[in-house]
Amino acid sequence: MTIVDASVVDQQIHALIAQGRLEEAEAIVRPLLASGSGPIPLWRLLAQLSRQQGRLAETRAVQEMLVEAVPGDLSGRFDLAETLLLMGEFERGWREYHYRYSLSHTTRIERKVQRPRWDGRPMPGRPLLIHDEQGYGDTFQFIRMVAWAKERSQAHVILEINRESLSLAERCKGADELIVRGTLPPAFDVHCEMMSLPMVMGLKLDDLPGTIPYLSPSPTRVAKWRRRLAKLPRPLVCLVWAGRPAHHNDANRSMTLADLAPLAMPGVTFLAVQKGPKAAEAKTPPAGMTLLALDDEIDDFEDTAAILSIADLLISVDSSPVHLAGALGRPVWVLLPFIPDWRWLMDRADTPWYPQTRLFRQSARGDWPGTLARMANELAALRDKIR
Amino acid sequence: MARKPSAPAPSQDLSIEEALSRAYAHWNAGQADQAELFCQRVLAVWPGQADALHLMGVMAHAYGNLDLALQHLRLACQAPRAPAVYFSNLAEMCRQKGLLSEGERAGRRAVALDNNLVAGWNNLGIILQEAGKLDESLSCLERVVALQQNSPEAHNNLANTCKRLGRLDRAEGYYAKALSLNPNYAEAHSNLANLLNDRGRLDEAAAEARRAIDLNPQMADAYINLAAVESSRYRFTEALRWLDALLVFAPMHAGGLAARAQSLIRLERLPEALESAKRAVENAPESSDAHNTVGQVLQALSRFDEALEAFDRAASLPGLATENALVNRAILFMENGRKDEARAAFDRALDSFPRSAQALFNRSDLKTFAENDPDIRTIEDMLLDGGTRSLADSQALHFTLGKAYLDVGNSDRAFYHLNEGNRLKRSTFHFDIGATTEWMRRIAKVFSPALFKSCRGVGAPSSLPVFIVGIPRSGTTLIEQILASHSQVLGGGELSQLQRIVDGIGVYPEDVVKFDKTVWERIGRDYLARVEPLAQGRLHVVDKMPANFLHAGLIRLALPNARIIHCRRDPVDTCLSCYTKLFTAEQLFTYDLAELGRFHVAYQKLMAHWRKVLPKDRFIEVDYEAVVDDLEGEAKRLIDFLGLPWEESCLNFHENRRTIRTASVNQVRRPIYKSSMGRWKAHARHLEPLLTALGVDLT
Repeated sequence: MTIVDASVVDQQIHALIAQGRLEEAEAIVRPLLASGSGPIPLWRLLAQLSRQQGRLAETRAVQEMLVEAVPGDLSGRFDLAETLLLMGEFERGWREYHYRYSLSHTTRIERKVQRPRWDGRPMPGRPLLIHDEQGYGDTFQFIRMVAWAKERSQAHVILEINRESLSLAERCKGADELIVRGTLPPAFDVHCEMMSLPMVMGLKLDDLPGTIPYLSPSPTRVAKWRRRLAKLPRPLVCLVWAGRPAHHNDANRSMTLADLAPLAMPGVTFLAVQKGPKAAEAKTPPAGMTLLALDDEIDDFEDTAAILSIADLLISVDSSPVHLAGALGRPVWVLLPFIPDWRWLMDRADTPWYPQTRLFRQSARGDWPGTLARMANELAALRDKIR
Repeated sequence: MARKPSAPAPSQDLSIEEALSRAYAHWNAGQADQAELFCQRVLAVWPGQADALHLMGVMAHAYGNLDLALQHLRLACQAPRAPAVYFSNLAEMCRQKGLLSEGERAGRRAVALDNNLVAGWNNLGIILQEAGKLDESLSCLERVVALQQNSPEAHNNLANTCKRLGRLDRAEGYYAKALSLNPNYAEAHSNLANLLNDRGRLDEAAAEARRAIDLNPQMADAYINLAAVESSRYRFTEALRWLDALLVFAPMHAGGLAARAQSLIRLERLPEALESAKRAVENAPESSDAHNTVGQVLQALSRFDEALEAFDRAASLPGLATENALVNRAILFMENGRKDEARAAFDRALDSFPRSAQALFNRSDLKTFAENDPDIRTIEDMLLDGGTRSLADSQALHFTLGKAYLDVGNSDRAFYHLNEGNRLKRSTFHFDIGATTEWMRRIAKVFSPALFKSCRGVGAPSSLPVFIVGIPRSGTTLIEQILASHSQVLGGGELSQLQRIVDGIGVYPEDVVKFDKTVWERIGRDYLARVEPLAQGRLHVVDKMPANFLHAGLIRLALPNARIIHCRRDPVDTCLSCYTKLFTAEQLFTYDLAELGRFHVAYQKLMAHWRKVLPKDRFIEVDYEAVVDDLEGEAKRLIDFLGLPWEESCLNFHENRRTIRTASVNQVRRPIYKSSMGRWKAHARHLEPLLTALGVDLT
């Protein structure tokens, strides 16, 4: 048997992965594990490599083996959760997803509520606190379950939600009482994180999407934006090319506006609803693209929601406006990396979460040009239909 | 739908009471930042304010910062009006930090301040439990259960104390109650696993521990308990695997490190064991368990003075390993032939723990019981009232009485207890005598004359190893002791290396026909890698693992210059002797008379095969009875077989201070004795299944 100095191999492999040379990295790892046993860090690397190359069945087998071997390595359980959810294996997936606050970078942000978690059973009239977490997109995607929790629990539901989404949540069904994240809730018996609702309620693929739309725009904002956009020739296509830069997977999911040049075509009016540090790119659109930069005029999600309700389509990378538009029941085309976030599943052009949404997936790692070329064809067809 | 206005920025004119009440309410809702802000505001105007400090401590504890939490709680408890519950929380945090005496003081203060504080009685009760003050712990926790009849935690804690008191039925009942109140209660599943392991219900125990880990994958005790079950099954590699899995997420867990060291001792990986045990002590300098474990490793490494020091340290600390440490230091003396010190050490252990089964059991080897020996009465009482703490203790006590009654010549009582002890032991493992005898037949078939012919010249050429093989209790320890008294021979004791190699070479024995030259040489070298470091410059190292008789053929091919000594003794005497012993190592065929007999017959057949196929200069047989009759002649024959010049010291083997760690520990210290020859005839009426299997005709 060869003695493997795992740390040396580890460094070498990480360097290759950082350069995207996955096949070479795998060619080093695989022989070291050929006997069927080897150091745990190497197995983790193999799982990572096979996942990034889309071999999910193998990824899952390795990750399940790791969880069996070291059940207390909670980051390993979270990795398995992401693979299971990506494969649509909801039952165990949601259970293991429970460990999302047990990672080295998340333990400090776990909310230690001093009351038990809701167990999914009816609790008529008693107070249940549901609180959102994580990103805006998560809140837009999972807020639909608040109404389901209300129906199941018959509780007095208090929803604690981020300030930016509060007014949209007010027009959403389910909560009896709404408070802003960080403010003192009234007394409550049990609580549930918004993204633990799937685990607690045993969410299945068949339960999706539920009632669409479940979010609605503000009528006054819609009126305002109708006036603002009235003179523009249709189709109106909203554009988002970058997500929050701090997201761990941002390099895979985000693009620059210049990357979207293939979509430029006569007869389509693009609306840049991009927010954040990348919004400035809208001032220098690619050649041939008619683009209206709206960043300065968009104050909050209410503005974005109103624009999405008026526009004909949102084209976006995997970022929160996708979920907002989906929840509003508006058409969306999402640009997805080869291995997307678990919520988009694999090998399908639609999504059970939002019936009006189409998925444009990279057919090979990093291949945005091919994906955009396909999308440009579809966009031209849509333009011709609408005009 | 009502909408609450968002919180106003904390205003400057908020009263202290109001700020505190908001701080606690925010914490209750899991809003740690806001809670901390309000605490800090209070502390800014009133440094040392007890309620604010208490909450800061509780929050630090929730986020895993035990040291900071303790710091805050100690300060909070210094306030003149600090309420009972703060002392109660301080007590629990002290316990988690291993500060038992400070915790006990805080716990007592809590219940003195508020006699109705359930949490106070609870926390005090579990500290007293860990400190070994079990009777007082019991009354605290019984009070808690009375006040909170539907609390799973209360029942679990009470069960733990009952278990440590040896009230196993009561303990099991309380665990069951805790689990009926909350079926997903990980701690209760884990504790129940521990109890079931002690009771020898190993499959149930493993299932409970697995369930605990499923429910809470970072519950350290569940891993330690699961490892203990695997150790009970003699699956030490599996035990080690679970402890390593624990250390992946809790690398400094002292209990885990100590348990890991114990597994490594059983796997004979002593340097690693020592490192692990020392890390346990570093992380828990006040843990008697950790020091006791260091002692056991040092003992295994033959570093006796240091081992003794570690056992003494362990015995001086509060906790549950104290009794074990006292017994271990007595065994240490015994293994080194220091009988007087050993007797004194056992007396000391029994002074502190009068019902210590392990002390009574181990001491019995040091003496010949007289009819009026008070131990006999003590043990009979212990077995009668169900006051033993584990199945292992019950077994040990039955074997002790078996020995005692044999000593006084009461054959009926002796066999009543021997049968009972053996039956209990036999119930803890699976063993298929039919499959085993068939396996032995296959070994003889595979290692055929043709195989030896086709494999001529293979293996590693070293002549260092000497194997002593046979059935346990057939004189293997005696022979090793004689050989090891020679200046060129080192006694290595019973080594499991060869068995471990066999376990790793595929389907045994069938796969060996596929081995080529390189495989045979590698097997030989694997074995030598284990024994060469022991040699200390001597020409031979003895491995007296009796069960290596199964592998004499393998030895011949992997180590063609190794010598094999086969010890023989009257079959009935051997089997009777096995039946009276509770072995520490895995020994599956000795706990049922019929199985013993069948095993012995199969062994005789296999040895007859080896006699035919192994060369005379590498394989020799020695009869125990011949050694007893003519020690010098037989000793000379064996020394000659090893190719060594004769040394007189080989006749004074009982003066050799070399440590012995098998069931024969006290016998080889005595000059050769004949009392064990043919002794079975006095007990023939109790041996019928054995005699039938061996084909011995009584008439």
